[in-house]
Amino acid sequence: MSSGVVLRTRGIVKEFPGVVALKGVDFELKRAEIHAIVGQNGAGKSTFVKILSGVYTPTRGEIYVGERRARIRNVRDAKRLGITLVHQEATLAPNLSIAENMALAVYGMRGVILGRLRKAELLDLAKRHLERVKLRTDPRTKLGDLGVGERQLVQVARALAENADVICLDEPTSPLTTAEVGVLFEVMEELRKEGRSMIFITHRVEEVFRIADRVTVLRDGIKVFTSPVSETSPSEVVKHMLGRELDEFYPRRKIAEERTPAPPRLRVVSLTTASEGKGVDLRDVSFDLYPGEVLGVVGLLGSGKTELGKALVGMQRVVSGEIYVDGRRVRIESPADALRLGILYIPEDRRQEGLVLQLTVSDNVILPSVYRASALRLFRRTRYERSVAEKWIESLRIVPPRPDFKTSNLSGGNQQKVVLAKSLEAGVRVLVLDEPTFGIDVGAKVEIRRLIAGLADQGYSVVLLTSDVDEALTLSDRILVLVSGRVAGVLDNRGLSRERIIGMLGGRSG
Amino acid sequence: MGSALGALRNALRSLTAHELGGPLVALALLVAVSSALSPKFLEPYNQRILLLQTAPLALLALGESMVILMGSIDLSPGSTMALAGTVSAAVFTIYGLPLHAALAVGVLVGIAVGAVNGLLVTKARIPSFVATLASLVAGRGLVLVVTEGRPIVGLSPYRVFTGDVAGLPLMVWIFVAFGALNYAVLRKTSIGLLTYAIGGNEEAVRYSGVRVDVVKLINFSIAGGYYAIAGLMMNARLEVAYPWTGWGYELDAIASCVLGGIMLSGGVGSPLGPVLGAYMLTLLTNVLILLGVNPYLQWVVKGFVLVAAAVALTRGVRYAK
Repeated sequence: MSSGVVLRTRGIVKEFPGVVALKGVDFELKRAEIHAIVGQNGAGKSTFVKILSGVYTPTRGEIYVGERRARIRNVRDAKRLGITLVHQEATLAPNLSIAENMALAVYGMRGVILGRLRKAELLDLAKRHLERVKLRTDPRTKLGDLGVGERQLVQVARALAENADVICLDEPTSPLTTAEVGVLFEVMEELRKEGRSMIFITHRVEEVFRIADRVTVLRDGIKVFTSPVSETSPSEVVKHMLGRELDEFYPRRKIAEERTPAPPRLRVVSLTTASEGKGVDLRDVSFDLYPGEVLGVVGLLGSGKTELGKALVGMQRVVSGEIYVDGRRVRIESPADALRLGILYIPEDRRQEGLVLQLTVSDNVILPSVYRASALRLFRRTRYERSVAEKWIESLRIVPPRPDFKTSNLSGGNQQKVVLAKSLEAGVRVLVLDEPTFGIDVGAKVEIRRLIAGLADQGYSVVLLTSDVDEALTLSDRILVLVSGRVAGVLDNRGLSRERIIGMLGGRSG
Repeated sequence: MGSALGALRNALRSLTAHELGGPLVALALLVAVSSALSPKFLEPYNQRILLLQTAPLALLALGESMVILMGSIDLSPGSTMALAGTVSAAVFTIYGLPLHAALAVGVLVGIAVGAVNGLLVTKARIPSFVATLASLVAGRGLVLVVTEGRPIVGLSPYRVFTGDVAGLPLMVWIFVAFGALNYAVLRKTSIGLLTYAIGGNEEAVRYSGVRVDVVKLINFSIAGGYYAIAGLMMNARLEVAYPWTGWGYELDAIASCVLGGIMLSGGVGSPLGPVLGAYMLTLLTNVLILLGVNPYLQWVVKGFVLVAAAVALTRGVRYAK
C-alpha cells in the first residue's frame, strides 16, 4: 500500500460549550503526501489536527488509520499509531536542553524513573535527529536560547525521534522568517521522500502552492473544498476560504480627494522609547493625525506597532520626544491621562487586555465611563447604564442583543464591538486600534472594517495598527510603514500600490 | 420518577449556577447535620452565642473579600484588628477619651493600616502577599509596643456592643448592617464594578483609562476599616484588649471567603458570600465544641472542610459555564 491512504476521517464533529468547531469533516491523507489545510481563523484547522493527535477527543465521527478504525483518546494513543503534532506555540520546556526535551517526548516518565537514560546515548540520539532537520546546534543548548524557527525545527526533530508516520504541522511558518521557511520546506520535502505523510496548516495561500500536493479548505468547521494543488489556483482557494470574492472582503472607504485644511489633532515628534528588553524600541517616530483621518500603521511582527500604540497611552517608557494634542504639548503617563485627552488604545489581545470576560456587555461598555455615569460619581444608575448598552448594541449590531450577556460567551467579532462601544462611550476622539480584525471570523472582519470607515467619516481620528496591507490600503488616508521601530515612510494613500508598501516592509526603500 | 429526577437536576444546576448557590447548599447541609448530631445546636441560646462569635469574623471576611475580589490578598486582618482594638482601648483608658471618640480612633487606625497596604501595593509595586505580610508582622509589633505585651483592662463601657437591641446583641445587628452595606457597595456603586473588573482583568481596566491604583487604595482602606470594627467588637466581647487578639485570624478571614464562594483568583463571588462563610466557619467550631471533639482535632476538621469547599467551588464554576 505504497500509495494508499494512511489516515482517513469520517464525519468528525467537535462541540465546545457554546460553539460547534467542526461540523462533520471527511478527510484523507495519502502516504508520502503533504496535504495542506487552509482556512480563516476559527475555521477549525487547529481543532482538527488536535483531534487527530489526541489533544481533543471528537464529539462524533470516525478515524481510520490504514484500514483499521482507530480510537484516539489521548496523545499517547495517537503516538502509538504514529501520529504526532507539531504545535503552533512550541510546547517544549524552555529551561531544558534540546536533548532533554527530546528524551521527554520519546521516553516520557519511564526513562526518568528507570534511570535508563544515559547522557551520551541521549546526546547521540538528539544529534542524529537534529541533523535530519538540518540543525547543527549543540543538543546541550537550552531550548529557551534558540530562536523561534530553530525551536520549530526541534519540534519536527522530536516528531522524527518518535518515528511518527503522520506529522501534523499547525501553522509552523507563521512565526518564521523567509529563510527559515525555506529550511522547513526542505526538511518537509525530504520527509516526503522517506514516505512520511504530513498535514500542513497555514493561512498563507502561496505556501500551499510551493510545497503541498493537495489542499483542503475549511470554513466555519465545514470542509468546503479539496483538490490536488496542480488542478486549482490561489484565487480559487482564497475564494473558498472567504466564501466570497476578495473585494467584498475589504470594504473600501472613500477617501476625500482634497483634505480640508485643519490643524492636526495629534502630533507626535521624534518619539523614542525603551522597552527594557520586553519588546521593540521605537526610534524617532514622528507623525501627524488629522480629524476624520485613518492613519494606517503597517508593520510586521517585531516592527514596534504595538509598542507605538502603547506609548501613545503612557504604557511604554518614553525616553524622548513630544506629543501634542490640538497643538498643546501634553504629558501622558497612563491610559487614564490619555483618556482625559480623548485618546484610547484598544489592544490586539481582546481577551487578555480588552475586556473583563466575567462581566456582562453592559458592565464592560460602561467601565471606562463608570464614574461619569454614576450619581455623585459613586452610585450606579442601572437603568441609565442599560439604555447606554442598548444604544451601542443597536448601533454596532452586537449579537445577541442583550446587555446582560456575559462577554466571555460572545464571538470574537462581537467582543471587538463591545470594546469599540466602550471606547466610543468614553468620549474618545482618537482611537488607536491594534490589529482590530485579528482572530475574528470573516463576516465580522468586514463589519469591523465598515465600522472603522464609518468612524472616520464621523470625525473620529483613527490610528490603525495592522499587519494586513490590504486592510490598511482600503481604509487609510495615509499609511505609515514601520520597520524595526523606525518610520520607513509616511505615504499618501492616493494611487498607492500594494507592492510599494511590501517593498518598504522588506527593507527596500520605495 | 425520571422527570422528578430531571427537575431535581435542573434545580441543582440553577443553584450551582448562582454565585451563592454552593455556599447556601453547604450551609443547609451543615445546619442539618449539626442539628441532627447535637440537639443543643438549634437552641436560641446557642444560636445567640454563635452569632455573637460570628460578628468579628464576618467583618474580617467582608474586608478580606474587598481585597480578594480585586485578585489581591490581605494577610493583615488579624494584626490590624488587634492594633485598632488596643489603640482604641489605650486612648480610652489611659487618655480618657470618650467612648465614641475612642471608637473613631480605632476605626481610623484600621483605615490607616489599610491605606499603607494600598500604598505599598500601588506605589511601591510590591505584591499584595508580601506587602500585607509585612503589615502582619509590623502591625503585631506595634500592638506589643502599645500594650507593652500586657492586656488593657477596664473596657466595660464597650459592653454597649453586646447589649440587646430588638432581641439580638447590637454587635449582630452591626454585622448584618455591614453585610448589607458591603452588598450595596459592591453591587450598586462605581467602586464595586471596578472591584470586580480589576479582579477579572486588571490590564483591561487599566487600558480603559481607569486609575486602577486609586480603586486599590480605596479598597485596602475600606478593608482596614472593617478589620478595625472587628477589633472593637473583640474589645466589647472580652472587655479586655489582649495583645494577641486576632493571632492567625487572617487565615480564618481567607477561609471564610473561600467557604463563601469568593474565588481567590479574583472577580468572582457574591458580596454576601463572606458573611455566610464566616457563619459556617464559626458554626463548625461551635458544633465540634458541642460534640466535645478534641480541640486540636478541630483544626484538622476545618482543614478538610476548606479543601472540600475549594473543590466544590472549582467544580461548581465549571458546571456553571
